[in-house]
Amino acid sequence: MPGDGGTRPWRTHGFVVRLTSVVVLLIAWQVVSVLISEKYVPGPAPTFAALAVQVASGAVLQHLSITMVRMLASFALAMATGIVIGTVMGLYRRGEQALDLWVMVMLTIPGLCYIIVSFMWLGLNERAAVLAIAWTTFPSIAINVWQGVKAIDQRLIDMARVFRASPWRRTARVVIPQVLPYLMAAARFGLGVVWKVTVLVELLGRSDGVGYMLNYSFQMFNMADVFAWTLLFTLVMLAIELAVLKPVEVRLFRWRPELRA
Amino acid sequence: MAAITLQGLSKTYRSHAHPRGLVALDDVSVSVADREFLCLLGPSGCGKTTVLNVLAGLDRDYRGDVAIDGRPLPKNGVGPFRIGYVFQEPRLLPWLTVRRNLHFALESFGVPREEREARVRTWLRRVGLAEFAEAHPHELSGGMQQRAAIARAFAVEPQLLLMDEPFSGLDELTARGLREQLLALWQETRRTVIFVTHNCFEACFVADRILVLSARPGRVRHEVRVDLPRPRSYDSAQLFELSVAVTRLVTEVPEEG
Repeated sequence: MPGDGGTRPWRTHGFVVRLTSVVVLLIAWQVVSVLISEKYVPGPAPTFAALAVQVASGAVLQHLSITMVRMLASFALAMATGIVIGTVMGLYRRGEQALDLWVMVMLTIPGLCYIIVSFMWLGLNERAAVLAIAWTTFPSIAINVWQGVKAIDQRLIDMARVFRASPWRRTARVVIPQVLPYLMAAARFGLGVVWKVTVLVELLGRSDGVGYMLNYSFQMFNMADVFAWTLLFTLVMLAIELAVLKPVEVRLFRWRPELRA
Repeated sequence: MAAITLQGLSKTYRSHAHPRGLVALDDVSVSVADREFLCLLGPSGCGKTTVLNVLAGLDRDYRGDVAIDGRPLPKNGVGPFRIGYVFQEPRLLPWLTVRRNLHFALESFGVPREEREARVRTWLRRVGLAEFAEAHPHELSGGMQQRAAIARAFAVEPQLLLMDEPFSGLDELTARGLREQLLALWQETRRTVIFVTHNCFEACFVADRILVLSARPGRVRHEVRVDLPRPRSYDSAQLFELSVAVTRLVTEVPEEG
Protein backbone atom coordinates (compact mmCIF):
# COMPACT_ATOMS: atom_id res chain seq x y z
CA MET A 1 0.00 0.00 0.00
CA PRO A 2 1.27 3.49 -0.81
CA GLY A 3 0.58 4.70 2.75
CA ASP A 4 2.83 2.08 4.34
CA GLY A 5 5.63 2.76 1.92
CA GLY A 6 5.61 6.41 2.93
CA THR A 7 5.44 5.93 6.69
CA ARG A 8 8.34 3.65 7.41
CA PRO A 9 11.30 5.59 5.94
CA TRP A 10 9.85 8.67 7.60
CA ARG A 11 9.95 7.03 11.06
CA THR A 12 13.52 5.78 10.52
CA HIS A 13 14.45 9.24 9.37
CA GLY A 14 13.03 10.75 12.58
CA PHE A 15 15.06 8.34 14.68
CA VAL A 16 18.28 9.27 12.86
CA VAL A 17 17.58 12.96 13.42
CA ARG A 18 17.04 12.37 17.16
CA LEU A 19 20.19 10.28 17.51
CA THR A 20 22.22 12.90 15.66
CA SER A 21 20.94 15.62 17.95
CA VAL A 22 22.02 13.63 21.03
CA VAL A 23 25.49 13.05 19.56
CA VAL A 24 25.82 16.75 18.70
CA LEU A 25 24.83 17.65 22.27
CA LEU A 26 27.50 15.35 23.73
CA ILE A 27 30.15 16.78 21.40
CA ALA A 28 29.17 20.37 22.23
CA TRP A 29 29.30 19.52 25.93
CA GLN A 30 32.82 18.11 25.51
CA VAL A 31 33.97 21.13 23.50
CA VAL A 32 32.67 23.62 26.08
CA SER A 33 34.31 21.60 28.83
CA VAL A 34 37.70 21.69 27.07
CA LEU A 35 37.38 25.39 26.23
CA ILE A 36 36.49 26.53 29.75
CA SER A 37 38.03 23.99 32.11
CA GLU A 38 37.21 20.57 33.52
CA LYS A 39 36.90 22.14 36.94
CA TYR A 40 33.92 24.34 36.13
CA VAL A 41 32.37 22.31 33.33
CA PRO A 42 33.10 18.60 33.74
CA GLY A 43 32.84 16.82 30.37
CA PRO A 44 30.63 13.81 29.62
CA ALA A 45 33.30 11.28 30.66
CA PRO A 46 33.98 12.59 34.21
CA THR A 47 30.25 13.20 34.73
CA PHE A 48 29.33 9.62 33.82
CA ALA A 49 32.25 8.41 35.96
CA ALA A 50 30.96 10.39 38.96
CA LEU A 51 27.49 9.00 38.36
CA ALA A 52 28.91 5.46 38.24
CA VAL A 53 30.58 6.01 41.61
CA GLN A 54 27.28 7.19 43.11
CA VAL A 55 25.47 4.20 41.66
CA ALA A 56 28.11 1.82 43.02
CA SER A 57 27.91 3.33 46.51
CA GLY A 58 24.14 2.77 46.63
CA ALA A 59 23.49 6.50 46.99
CA VAL A 60 21.55 6.66 43.74
CA LEU A 61 19.20 3.88 44.74
CA GLN A 62 18.57 5.38 48.17
CA HIS A 63 18.09 9.01 47.19
CA LEU A 64 16.43 8.49 43.83
CA SER A 65 13.86 6.11 45.27
CA ILE A 66 12.87 8.48 48.07
CA THR A 67 12.58 11.32 45.53
CA MET A 68 10.41 9.17 43.27
CA VAL A 69 8.11 8.22 46.15
CA ARG A 70 7.63 11.88 47.11
CA MET A 71 7.03 12.77 43.48
CA LEU A 72 4.46 10.08 42.85
CA ALA A 73 2.54 10.79 46.05
CA SER A 74 2.44 14.52 45.30
CA PHE A 75 1.59 13.93 41.67
CA ALA A 76 -1.34 11.67 42.60
CA LEU A 77 -2.62 14.24 45.11
CA ALA A 78 -2.24 17.09 42.61
CA MET A 79 -3.99 15.14 39.84
CA ALA A 80 -6.90 14.15 42.11
CA THR A 81 -7.38 17.74 43.34
CA GLY A 82 -6.86 19.23 39.89
CA ILE A 83 -9.31 16.88 38.21
CA VAL A 84 -12.05 17.50 40.80
CA ILE A 85 -11.65 21.28 40.73
CA GLY A 86 -11.21 21.45 36.96
CA THR A 87 -14.31 19.31 36.41
CA VAL A 88 -16.45 21.43 38.73
CA MET A 89 -15.24 24.57 36.96
CA GLY A 90 -15.90 23.09 33.54
CA LEU A 91 -19.38 21.76 34.32
CA TYR A 92 -20.91 24.54 36.40
CA ARG A 93 -20.92 28.22 35.59
CA ARG A 94 -21.16 29.03 39.32
CA GLY A 95 -18.16 26.81 40.00
CA GLU A 96 -16.21 28.64 37.36
CA GLN A 97 -17.15 32.05 38.72
CA ALA A 98 -16.27 31.02 42.27
CA LEU A 99 -12.97 29.31 41.55
CA ASP A 100 -11.26 30.78 38.48
CA LEU A 101 -9.70 33.66 40.42
CA TRP A 102 -8.40 31.30 43.11
CA VAL A 103 -6.83 28.97 40.60
CA MET A 104 -5.19 31.86 38.76
CA VAL A 105 -3.79 33.31 41.98
CA MET A 106 -2.50 29.94 43.11
CA LEU A 107 -0.87 29.44 39.74
CA THR A 108 0.95 32.76 40.07
CA ILE A 109 2.33 32.28 43.61
CA PRO A 110 5.90 30.93 43.41
CA GLY A 111 6.43 27.33 44.52
CA LEU A 112 8.94 28.53 47.09
CA CYS A 113 6.16 30.26 49.04
CA TYR A 114 4.12 27.05 49.28
CA ILE A 115 7.21 25.16 50.40
CA ILE A 116 8.07 27.63 53.18
CA VAL A 117 4.46 27.88 54.35
CA SER A 118 4.02 24.08 54.38
CA PHE A 119 7.21 23.52 56.37
CA MET A 120 6.24 26.26 58.85
CA TRP A 121 2.75 24.82 59.30
CA LEU A 122 3.52 21.12 59.42
CA GLY A 123 7.21 20.97 60.33
CA LEU A 124 10.12 19.58 58.36
CA ASN A 125 8.44 16.27 57.48
CA GLU A 126 7.14 14.21 54.56
CA ARG A 127 3.57 15.43 54.89
CA ALA A 128 4.72 19.01 54.46
CA ALA A 129 6.90 18.04 51.50
CA VAL A 130 4.06 16.27 49.68
CA LEU A 131 1.61 19.08 50.48
CA ALA A 132 3.99 21.73 49.15
CA ILE A 133 4.68 19.87 45.89
CA ALA A 134 1.02 19.03 45.25
CA TRP A 135 -0.06 22.58 46.08
CA THR A 136 2.37 24.06 43.56
CA THR A 137 1.31 21.57 40.89
CA PHE A 138 -2.46 21.29 41.06
CA PRO A 139 -3.45 24.72 39.59
CA SER A 140 -1.97 23.98 36.19
CA ILE A 141 -3.66 20.56 36.18
CA ALA A 142 -6.99 22.12 37.17
CA ILE A 143 -6.72 24.63 34.32
CA ASN A 144 -6.06 21.91 31.73
CA VAL A 145 -8.96 19.79 32.96
CA TRP A 146 -11.23 22.84 33.09
CA GLN A 147 -10.51 23.60 29.43
CA GLY A 148 -11.01 19.95 28.55
CA VAL A 149 -14.39 19.70 30.23
CA LYS A 150 -15.54 22.93 28.60
CA ALA A 151 -14.54 21.59 25.19
CA ILE A 152 -16.81 18.53 25.50
CA ASP A 153 -19.06 18.33 22.44
CA GLN A 154 -22.65 18.22 23.71
CA ARG A 155 -23.85 17.20 20.25
CA LEU A 156 -22.10 13.84 20.54
CA ILE A 157 -23.68 13.27 23.96
CA ASP A 158 -27.10 14.05 22.45
CA MET A 159 -26.38 11.54 19.68
CA ALA A 160 -25.62 8.88 22.29
CA ARG A 161 -28.82 9.73 24.17
CA VAL A 162 -30.96 9.37 21.05
CA PHE A 163 -29.43 5.93 20.50
CA ARG A 164 -30.38 5.10 24.10
CA ALA A 165 -26.88 4.86 25.58
CA SER A 166 -27.16 4.70 29.39
CA PRO A 167 -25.70 7.59 31.42
CA TRP A 168 -22.81 5.35 32.44
CA ARG A 169 -22.14 4.42 28.81
CA ARG A 170 -22.34 8.05 27.70
CA THR A 171 -19.73 8.97 30.31
CA ALA A 172 -17.37 6.10 29.59
CA ARG A 173 -17.67 6.01 25.81
CA VAL A 174 -18.44 9.59 24.82
CA VAL A 175 -17.37 12.04 27.53
CA ILE A 176 -14.12 10.58 28.85
CA PRO A 177 -12.56 9.96 25.42
CA GLN A 178 -13.12 13.65 24.66
CA VAL A 179 -11.40 14.79 27.85
CA LEU A 180 -8.49 12.33 27.64
CA PRO A 181 -6.20 14.50 25.49
CA TYR A 182 -6.53 17.29 28.04
CA LEU A 183 -5.91 14.88 30.93
CA MET A 184 -2.80 13.69 29.15
CA ALA A 185 -1.58 17.27 28.72
CA ALA A 186 -2.37 17.93 32.38
CA ALA A 187 -0.38 14.88 33.47
CA ARG A 188 2.63 15.80 31.37
CA PHE A 189 2.60 19.41 32.50
CA GLY A 190 2.05 18.34 36.11
CA LEU A 191 4.97 15.91 36.05
CA GLY A 192 7.26 18.68 34.79
CA VAL A 193 6.28 20.93 37.68
CA VAL A 194 6.49 18.10 40.24
CA TRP A 195 10.09 17.32 39.22
CA LYS A 196 11.25 20.89 39.64
CA VAL A 197 9.51 21.47 42.94
CA THR A 198 10.52 18.16 44.51
CA VAL A 199 14.25 18.92 44.33
CA LEU A 200 13.62 22.36 45.75
CA VAL A 201 11.66 20.89 48.67
CA GLU A 202 14.44 18.40 49.36
CA LEU A 203 17.06 21.12 49.26
CA LEU A 204 15.14 23.26 51.76
CA GLY A 205 13.68 20.85 54.24
CA ARG A 206 14.68 17.21 53.83
CA SER A 207 17.89 15.34 54.56
CA ASP A 208 17.66 12.87 51.70
CA GLY A 209 16.62 12.74 48.04
CA VAL A 210 18.19 13.99 44.83
CA GLY A 211 17.67 17.64 45.77
CA TYR A 212 19.47 17.10 49.05
CA MET A 213 22.39 15.43 47.26
CA LEU A 214 22.59 18.28 44.76
CA ASN A 215 22.85 20.73 47.64
CA TYR A 216 25.43 18.53 49.36
CA SER A 217 27.57 18.45 46.21
CA PHE A 218 27.21 22.23 46.01
CA GLN A 219 28.44 22.61 49.63
CA MET A 220 31.46 20.41 48.79
CA PHE A 221 31.91 22.39 45.58
CA ASN A 222 32.03 19.08 43.73
CA MET A 223 31.05 20.11 40.21
CA ALA A 224 31.24 16.58 38.78
CA ASP A 225 28.69 15.35 41.34
CA VAL A 226 26.36 18.29 40.63
CA PHE A 227 26.49 17.36 36.96
CA ALA A 228 26.08 13.66 37.77
CA TRP A 229 22.89 14.16 39.83
CA THR A 230 21.47 16.52 37.21
CA LEU A 231 22.24 13.99 34.50
CA LEU A 232 20.58 11.23 36.52
CA PHE A 233 17.49 13.35 36.88
CA THR A 234 17.36 14.07 33.18
CA LEU A 235 17.77 10.40 32.28
CA VAL A 236 14.95 9.35 34.60
CA MET A 237 12.66 12.01 33.13
CA LEU A 238 13.46 10.89 29.62
CA ALA A 239 12.79 7.29 30.59
CA ILE A 240 9.37 8.21 31.98
CA GLU A 241 8.56 10.19 28.85
CA LEU A 242 9.67 7.49 26.44
CA ALA A 243 8.62 4.39 28.40
CA VAL A 244 5.34 5.60 29.90
CA LEU A 245 3.86 8.83 28.52
CA LYS A 246 4.65 8.42 24.84
CA PRO A 247 3.39 4.82 24.47
CA VAL A 248 0.23 5.63 26.43
CA GLU A 249 -0.37 8.63 24.20
CA VAL A 250 0.22 6.72 20.98
CA ARG A 251 -2.06 3.93 22.18
CA LEU A 252 -4.86 6.29 23.22
CA PHE A 253 -4.76 8.68 20.32
CA ARG A 254 -3.87 6.39 17.44
CA TRP A 255 -7.02 7.51 15.69
CA ARG A 256 -5.91 11.12 15.52
CA PRO A 257 -4.51 12.17 12.15
CA GLU A 258 -1.73 14.40 13.52
CA LEU A 259 -0.17 11.56 15.53
CA ARG A 260 0.00 9.21 12.57
CA ALA A 261 2.34 11.29 10.46
CA MET B 1 -43.19 1.16 12.51
CA ALA B 2 -45.19 3.87 14.16
CA ALA B 3 -47.78 6.56 13.76
CA ILE B 4 -47.03 9.86 15.48
CA THR B 5 -49.34 12.52 16.85
CA LEU B 6 -48.23 15.87 18.24
CA GLN B 7 -51.07 17.88 19.71
CA GLY B 8 -50.76 21.58 20.51
CA LEU B 9 -46.98 21.51 20.83
CA SER B 10 -45.53 24.80 22.12
CA LYS B 11 -42.00 25.65 23.07
CA THR B 12 -40.52 28.84 24.47
CA TYR B 13 -36.78 29.42 24.81
CA ARG B 14 -35.65 31.65 27.64
CA SER B 15 -32.22 33.26 27.57
CA HIS B 16 -30.43 36.50 28.40
CA ALA B 17 -31.20 37.82 24.93
CA HIS B 18 -34.91 37.03 25.36
CA PRO B 19 -35.77 37.44 29.05
CA ARG B 20 -39.50 37.17 28.31
CA GLY B 21 -38.94 34.13 26.14
CA LEU B 22 -38.68 33.46 22.43
CA VAL B 23 -41.62 31.43 21.15
CA ALA B 24 -40.14 28.77 18.87
CA LEU B 25 -43.27 26.69 18.40
CA ASP B 26 -46.81 27.90 18.91
CA ASP B 27 -49.58 25.34 19.08
CA VAL B 28 -48.24 23.04 16.41
CA SER B 29 -50.21 19.89 15.69
CA VAL B 30 -48.76 17.26 13.42
CA SER B 31 -49.79 13.74 12.73
CA VAL B 32 -47.74 11.29 10.77
CA ALA B 33 -49.20 8.06 9.45
CA ASP B 34 -47.41 4.77 9.85
CA ARG B 35 -44.79 4.37 7.08
CA GLU B 36 -45.29 7.91 5.88
CA PHE B 37 -42.47 10.18 4.72
CA LEU B 38 -43.31 13.60 6.15
CA CYS B 39 -41.34 16.75 5.47
CA LEU B 40 -41.26 19.79 7.75
CA LEU B 41 -40.35 22.73 5.54
CA GLY B 42 -39.62 26.24 6.68
CA PRO B 43 -37.05 28.99 7.15
CA SER B 44 -34.40 28.77 9.85
CA GLY B 45 -35.74 29.56 13.29
CA CYS B 46 -39.19 28.08 12.72
CA GLY B 47 -38.63 25.38 15.34
CA LYS B 48 -38.35 22.45 12.92
CA THR B 49 -35.46 20.91 14.82
CA THR B 50 -37.32 21.41 18.11
CA VAL B 51 -40.05 19.05 16.88
CA LEU B 52 -37.44 16.37 16.22
CA ASN B 53 -35.72 16.93 19.56
CA VAL B 54 -39.02 16.58 21.43
CA LEU B 55 -39.71 13.28 19.68
CA ALA B 56 -36.15 12.06 20.31
CA GLY B 57 -36.39 12.85 24.02
CA LEU B 58 -33.62 15.46 23.85
CA ASP B 59 -35.99 18.30 24.68
CA ARG B 60 -38.31 17.75 27.64
CA ASP B 61 -39.28 21.32 28.37
CA TYR B 62 -42.35 21.77 26.16
CA ARG B 63 -46.12 22.01 26.35
CA GLY B 64 -48.48 19.78 24.43
CA ASP B 65 -49.13 16.09 23.98
CA VAL B 66 -46.95 13.73 22.05
CA ALA B 67 -47.92 10.16 21.32
CA ILE B 68 -46.24 7.42 19.37
CA ASP B 69 -48.58 4.63 18.28
CA GLY B 70 -51.21 6.03 20.63
CA ARG B 71 -48.95 5.76 23.68
CA PRO B 72 -47.99 9.12 25.21
CA LEU B 73 -44.30 9.98 25.19
CA PRO B 74 -43.05 9.60 28.77
CA LYS B 75 -41.83 12.86 30.27
CA ASN B 76 -38.42 11.37 31.00
CA GLY B 77 -38.08 11.10 27.23
CA VAL B 78 -37.09 7.43 27.15
CA GLY B 79 -39.89 5.67 25.35
CA PRO B 80 -40.15 1.98 24.58
CA PHE B 81 -39.54 2.61 20.87
CA ARG B 82 -36.43 2.85 18.79
CA ILE B 83 -35.58 6.10 17.08
CA GLY B 84 -32.98 6.64 14.39
CA TYR B 85 -31.69 10.19 14.06
CA VAL B 86 -29.61 11.62 11.22
CA PHE B 87 -28.30 15.00 12.33
CA GLN B 88 -27.22 17.91 10.20
CA GLU B 89 -23.61 16.91 10.94
CA PRO B 90 -22.60 13.24 10.87
CA ARG B 91 -21.95 13.15 14.66
CA LEU B 92 -19.77 10.07 14.46
CA LEU B 93 -17.44 9.39 17.38
CA PRO B 94 -14.08 10.41 15.89
CA TRP B 95 -12.03 7.87 17.85
CA LEU B 96 -14.01 4.87 16.62
CA THR B 97 -13.87 3.28 13.18
CA VAL B 98 -16.98 3.50 11.01
CA ARG B 99 -17.84 -0.10 11.88
CA ARG B 100 -17.48 0.48 15.61
CA ASN B 101 -19.56 3.66 15.37
CA LEU B 102 -22.46 1.54 14.13
CA HIS B 103 -21.77 -1.03 16.83
CA PHE B 104 -21.89 1.71 19.44
CA ALA B 105 -25.49 2.57 18.52
CA LEU B 106 -26.60 -1.07 18.29
CA GLU B 107 -24.93 -1.99 21.58
CA SER B 108 -26.68 0.93 23.24
CA PHE B 109 -29.99 -0.58 22.13
CA GLY B 110 -28.88 -3.94 23.49
CA VAL B 111 -28.75 -5.80 20.18
CA PRO B 112 -26.95 -9.16 20.71
CA ARG B 113 -23.45 -9.50 19.31
CA GLU B 114 -24.09 -11.93 16.45
CA GLU B 115 -26.95 -9.91 15.10
CA ARG B 116 -24.98 -6.70 15.51
CA GLU B 117 -22.19 -7.99 13.31
CA ALA B 118 -24.64 -9.02 10.61
CA ARG B 119 -26.61 -5.77 10.66
CA VAL B 120 -23.51 -3.58 10.61
CA ARG B 121 -22.13 -5.50 7.64
CA THR B 122 -25.45 -5.30 5.78
CA TRP B 123 -25.95 -1.59 6.30
CA LEU B 124 -22.40 -0.56 5.50
CA ARG B 125 -22.73 -2.50 2.26
CA ARG B 126 -26.10 -0.92 1.48
CA VAL B 127 -24.73 2.60 1.77
CA GLY B 128 -21.60 1.61 -0.17
CA LEU B 129 -19.14 1.86 2.70
CA ALA B 130 -18.18 -1.83 3.04
CA GLU B 131 -14.58 -1.09 2.09
CA PHE B 132 -14.36 1.73 4.60
CA ALA B 133 -15.56 -0.19 7.65
CA GLU B 134 -12.18 0.09 9.37
CA ALA B 135 -11.60 3.75 8.45
CA HIS B 136 -11.90 6.53 10.99
CA PRO B 137 -14.41 9.31 10.24
CA HIS B 138 -11.74 11.93 9.50
CA GLU B 139 -10.46 9.73 6.67
CA LEU B 140 -13.80 9.98 4.87
CA SER B 141 -15.32 12.79 2.83
CA GLY B 142 -18.30 14.70 4.23
CA GLY B 143 -20.71 12.75 2.02
CA MET B 144 -19.28 9.41 3.13
CA GLN B 145 -19.49 10.43 6.78
CA GLN B 146 -23.14 11.30 6.30
CA ARG B 147 -23.71 7.93 4.62
CA ALA B 148 -22.22 6.27 7.69
CA ALA B 149 -24.63 8.29 9.84
CA ILE B 150 -27.54 7.16 7.65
CA ALA B 151 -26.39 3.53 7.92
CA ARG B 152 -26.25 3.93 11.71
CA ALA B 153 -29.80 5.30 11.82
CA PHE B 154 -31.20 2.51 9.64
CA ALA B 155 -29.19 -0.22 11.38
CA VAL B 156 -30.99 0.26 14.70
CA GLU B 157 -34.19 -0.66 12.75
CA PRO B 158 -36.00 2.39 14.07
CA GLN B 159 -39.77 2.64 14.32
CA LEU B 160 -39.30 6.33 13.63
CA LEU B 161 -36.54 7.92 11.58
CA LEU B 162 -35.77 11.59 12.23
CA MET B 163 -33.67 13.55 9.77
CA ASP B 164 -32.55 17.12 10.42
CA GLU B 165 -31.38 18.77 7.19
CA PRO B 166 -29.07 15.81 6.65
CA PHE B 167 -27.80 16.99 3.26
CA SER B 168 -27.58 20.75 3.79
CA GLY B 169 -23.86 20.61 4.61
CA LEU B 170 -22.99 18.82 1.37
CA ASP B 171 -22.43 20.05 -2.16
CA GLU B 172 -25.51 19.67 -4.40
CA LEU B 173 -24.05 16.87 -6.52
CA THR B 174 -23.28 14.71 -3.47
CA ALA B 175 -26.63 15.63 -1.93
CA ARG B 176 -28.49 14.45 -5.05
CA GLY B 177 -26.81 11.07 -4.92
CA LEU B 178 -27.55 10.67 -1.24
CA ARG B 179 -31.21 11.66 -1.60
CA GLU B 180 -31.72 8.98 -4.23
CA GLN B 181 -29.91 6.46 -2.06
CA LEU B 182 -32.00 7.42 0.96
CA LEU B 183 -35.26 7.02 -0.97
CA ALA B 184 -34.18 3.61 -2.28
CA LEU B 185 -33.42 2.44 1.29
CA TRP B 186 -36.68 3.91 2.51
CA GLN B 187 -38.72 2.12 -0.14
CA GLU B 188 -37.15 -1.17 0.93
CA THR B 189 -37.77 -0.66 4.63
CA ARG B 190 -40.69 1.80 4.75
CA ARG B 191 -39.85 3.40 8.07
CA THR B 192 -41.93 6.31 9.31
CA VAL B 193 -39.79 9.36 8.54
CA ILE B 194 -39.89 12.98 9.64
CA PHE B 195 -37.48 14.94 7.48
CA VAL B 196 -36.66 18.57 8.24
CA THR B 197 -35.39 20.89 5.52
CA HIS B 198 -35.43 24.49 4.28
CA ASN B 199 -34.91 23.35 0.70
CA CYS B 200 -38.25 23.35 -1.19
CA PHE B 201 -37.01 21.24 -4.09
CA GLU B 202 -35.59 18.66 -1.70
CA ALA B 203 -38.89 18.53 0.21
CA CYS B 204 -40.85 17.87 -2.99
CA PHE B 205 -38.36 15.23 -4.13
CA VAL B 206 -38.41 13.13 -0.95
CA ALA B 207 -41.77 13.59 0.79
CA ASP B 208 -45.23 12.03 0.70
CA ARG B 209 -46.55 15.12 2.44
CA ILE B 210 -45.06 18.51 3.29
CA LEU B 211 -45.98 20.77 6.20
CA VAL B 212 -44.91 24.35 5.59
CA LEU B 213 -44.01 26.16 8.84
CA SER B 214 -43.69 29.89 9.44
CA ALA B 215 -40.91 31.42 11.52
CA ARG B 216 -41.08 32.97 15.02
CA PRO B 217 -43.38 31.68 16.23
CA GLY B 218 -43.34 28.42 14.34
CA ARG B 219 -46.85 27.55 13.15
CA VAL B 220 -48.13 25.16 10.51
CA ARG B 221 -49.09 27.36 7.53
CA HIS B 222 -49.84 24.92 4.75
CA GLU B 223 -50.08 21.27 4.01
CA VAL B 224 -49.01 19.93 0.61
CA ARG B 225 -49.61 16.37 -0.52
CA VAL B 226 -46.96 15.15 -2.98
CA ASP B 227 -48.58 12.61 -5.27
CA LEU B 228 -45.65 12.07 -7.60
CA PRO B 229 -44.93 8.43 -8.42
CA ARG B 230 -41.82 6.77 -6.98
CA PRO B 231 -39.02 6.31 -7.80
CA ARG B 232 -38.84 10.00 -8.59
CA SER B 233 -36.59 11.67 -11.11
CA TYR B 234 -34.82 15.01 -10.73
CA ASP B 235 -35.78 15.81 -14.34
CA SER B 236 -39.54 15.47 -13.85
CA ALA B 237 -41.47 18.52 -14.99
CA GLN B 238 -44.20 17.87 -12.42
CA LEU B 239 -41.60 17.90 -9.65
CA PHE B 240 -40.26 21.21 -10.91
CA GLU B 241 -43.73 22.79 -11.08
CA LEU B 242 -44.62 21.57 -7.63
CA SER B 243 -41.39 22.92 -6.16
CA VAL B 244 -42.09 26.34 -7.69
CA ALA B 245 -45.56 26.33 -6.12
CA VAL B 246 -44.20 25.23 -2.75
CA THR B 247 -41.48 27.89 -2.89
CA ARG B 248 -44.22 30.47 -3.33
CA LEU B 249 -45.99 29.16 -0.23
CA VAL B 250 -42.80 29.36 1.81
CA THR B 251 -41.80 32.86 0.73
CA GLU B 252 -45.24 34.49 0.97
CA VAL B 253 -45.61 37.05 3.75
CA PRO B 254 -48.16 35.77 6.25
CA GLU B 255 -50.91 38.31 6.94
CA GLU B 256 -50.93 39.45 10.56
CA GLY B 257 -53.93 38.35 12.54
